[in-house]
Amino acid sequence: MAMKKRRYALVIDSRKCINCKACVVACKAENDVPVGNFRNWINEDRQGEYPKLRIDFEPEQCHHCESPSCARVCPTGATWQRKDGIVLVNYDECIGCRYCMIACPYDARYFHEESGTVHKCTLCNHRVDRGDVPACVETCPSKVRIFGDLEDPASRIHELLATRRYHVKEPQTGNGPQLYYLL
Amino acid sequence: MGTTRMDRRLFLKAAGATAGAVATVQVGCLKYFKKGRSSAADNREVPTTCELCPNKCSAIAVVEGGFVKKLNPNPENPKSRDMLCARGNAAIKQVYDPDRLKQPMIRVGARGEGKWKPVSWDEAFDFAAKKLSEVKEKHGPEASLWSSTEGFQEVFFKNLGLAFGSPNLVRHPTLCLASVNLAYSATFGTVPSFDLLNSKFVIMSGANRFESIITPDTMDLIGSVMERKAKLVYLDPRFTVTAAKADEWYPIKPGTDLAFILAMIHVIIKENRHSKDFVTAYTTGFDQLTEHVKQYTPEWAEKETEIPAADIVRIAREFSDAAPRALYYAGRRSSWYQNDFQMRRAQAILNAIVGNWDQLGGMVPNAKLPKGEFLFMPWDEPKAARVDEIEKHFPLAAKGDGVYLKLRENVLSGKPYPVKAWMVYKQDPMNAMPDQAKTLKMIEQMDFIGVIDIHMSDMAWYADVVFPESTYLERTDPVEVMPGIWPAVVYRQQVVKPIHDTKPNLEIVQGLAKRLGLSDYFDYTIEQWVEAEFKELPIPMAADHMKKHGVWAASGQPSFGKTLNPDHRFVTKTGKIELFSERLQEAGYDALPVYSAPVPPPNDRFRLILGRVGYFTHGNQSNNVWLNEFMKENDLWINPKPAERLGIKDGAYVNVTSSVGSVKLKVRVTEEIRPDCVFMLHGFGKKSKMQSLVYNVGASDAVILETAWDKVSGNAAFHETFVKVANA
Repeated sequence: MAMKKRRYALVIDSRKCINCKACVVACKAENDVPVGNFRNWINEDRQGEYPKLRIDFEPEQCHHCESPSCARVCPTGATWQRKDGIVLVNYDECIGCRYCMIACPYDARYFHEESGTVHKCTLCNHRVDRGDVPACVETCPSKVRIFGDLEDPASRIHELLATRRYHVKEPQTGNGPQLYYLL
Repeated sequence: MGTTRMDRRLFLKAAGATAGAVATVQVGCLKYFKKGRSSAADNREVPTTCELCPNKCSAIAVVEGGFVKKLNPNPENPKSRDMLCARGNAAIKQVYDPDRLKQPMIRVGARGEGKWKPVSWDEAFDFAAKKLSEVKEKHGPEASLWSSTEGFQEVFFKNLGLAFGSPNLVRHPTLCLASVNLAYSATFGTVPSFDLLNSKFVIMSGANRFESIITPDTMDLIGSVMERKAKLVYLDPRFTVTAAKADEWYPIKPGTDLAFILAMIHVIIKENRHSKDFVTAYTTGFDQLTEHVKQYTPEWAEKETEIPAADIVRIAREFSDAAPRALYYAGRRSSWYQNDFQMRRAQAILNAIVGNWDQLGGMVPNAKLPKGEFLFMPWDEPKAARVDEIEKHFPLAAKGDGVYLKLRENVLSGKPYPVKAWMVYKQDPMNAMPDQAKTLKMIEQMDFIGVIDIHMSDMAWYADVVFPESTYLERTDPVEVMPGIWPAVVYRQQVVKPIHDTKPNLEIVQGLAKRLGLSDYFDYTIEQWVEAEFKELPIPMAADHMKKHGVWAASGQPSFGKTLNPDHRFVTKTGKIELFSERLQEAGYDALPVYSAPVPPPNDRFRLILGRVGYFTHGNQSNNVWLNEFMKENDLWINPKPAERLGIKDGAYVNVTSSVGSVKLKVRVTEEIRPDCVFMLHGFGKKSKMQSLVYNVGASDAVILETAWDKVSGNAAFHETFVKVANA
């Protein structure tokens, strides 16, 4: 069977985010993230003067960039990218130098003290590979994140990006981030 | 696999067929809990029902190497909408919490000193039974108090109290939602659900639905509002997440919501915008209502609420235009002001006159599903009257739940009779009741206190004996019917064996019953109980289905309008929806909601308001390591204007003082609150050292809250406290 080309990405409808942190805790459990570290998080932007106020929430994690700067700077090739776009760290090859942490424009990586290696969001590749969606996507009460394959014209994310306005964060870095925020 | 995303249902089927094949190798913190490991090869997926809050969402526990590794949402429960919140996800840390109660303990030092002796179950049961028997002999069985909060195993605890002969069961509603329940019951004869999925116009008074998560309401509403299918108008002195998401937010003057609602009714009736057909066919008292609300003009309401009259008129018009798909949402934890019942009554009346009853996008009487009942040996009804004198003071309140604050007053005064033993299940009256100093006095005068809980709550910390209950992931519980628009039957089955020397509540109750000579009433196992319940589920192979799926929901779409026929009799005195209530009048209350203005805070004081965030709703969640990460300490919200006047800086510590106590809190100077209020979050400042993350960190609202209650329901009024704020 010929392998179909795939490109996994997340479309994020931030307006629906209520900052409940379900995604953050689900990720902790799914990926054994140590207390004090996070593979995903929610940005808060609070503005205005009483009573003219606004709060915006914006979930974020590794952007699984098209051209990831973390992989470019890795001296051992531990950080690598799958054909479907998921950026991973091979812990056996990671020497814990943390160049990738500096190179990441999104501060999406952390140093895992116990193993001496750098960890980050894997887009739950172990779940994705068995046909499930990432834990953060699944558990969300308001279904803020939509996971899918950009190469699949029938996918929901394909449709959303074709019909809705969106932006990506820090496009000027040339990383080609693959977290698409709906406007 | 050929597809990139498999349907979750299909996946579950596939996973079931190849059980264990999906295990992945992970390293991490779970290895510190080797003790809990049942078998390295123990990999399973077990459907169960979450217990972290009262929503009872369906979850699938993933067991890897004998540990509960992950909890995934179970999409088969329509009520829980295929989600699991932060609290639900963090339930794993309840099981593997180093602070857990791990064996029975008897106090050896002074109460609250924290000196404990680990004992065997036999010793703990013998000790408690002896003490309870002594109290019974000396003062009668009514001298024992049985406090509990809702939960699938609560029934056994309540039954033990009743079989023991005590009428004094006291439950959580009067610290939570008694006023809303009573107000809607008084009007409609039942407490309906609100169809937020299909509503087009929703008004909420302080029901902070995007932070106090209720299924399916929270999920339905965020979808509707953000996809512009519904408009949300939100009233709250504080700019909450719900305020941030609402189309319109009004920082209403605290305690004046009733004025806003009465003015809306005024506008709707004056402009002939009510549903005439519905009002004529199904309600009684419309003429009295019309006369009654003439005084409540929008201009008058503007002065009370600080919401412009023009906005009140416009909102009333938009609301009635959208009806019947328009809702004034009731909310939960409705314990705010002393007029709470009448405020909720006014909401119910407003909903009634626009005819949203039993309509798509309106209020819907709850659908139920059948289940069997286990028949146990009945006991004699307790002979004594309740110590809270509920029939005299709150004739309409739910007798079985009691009235918490009045009960405490009476226990403290020793009238009408002394209460000397206090048994507590799954509740923390130390923090759940206002005025902690009074609760401590109540504790002082008890001859015996026994607490059943999974963790060392502040109440347990002051107990004489502590019975450790197994966490929900270690237990099998009775089956529960979740009524609603999308009713479901949910089942909680044991996922892993207890990792410490703990027992499910039923076995604790049986251990006590045996020594109190009450064994005959508890002569069954949880398996027999559950089997009886399964029997009458209208599905084939019910037991197998429930064990395999954890939930059963009737298929198909919800139905609306079943009660909309002229022969339908509402469970009220007149059989109609009672806008004007003779029953209330006879009981000595206002038959229609009468407004009285709240007392404003004196110049140098603020009104203290409370609330929740999405990841802490119940008191013990702040000590969950995965939730505590989001907030290590609670703080005091204060508006920049008064902060500047008082010389209070952001991040500094202040003393917050009421007439009953004083606490020290860090300050958050924020625009997100009215200048005449301050806000603090519940769940911090614990006295129990076995709540190690929040022991003596931040402060407990219970220390400074004053005792006040709603006149009709007896519901605690948590927003009636004025505090002084000064640099510490």
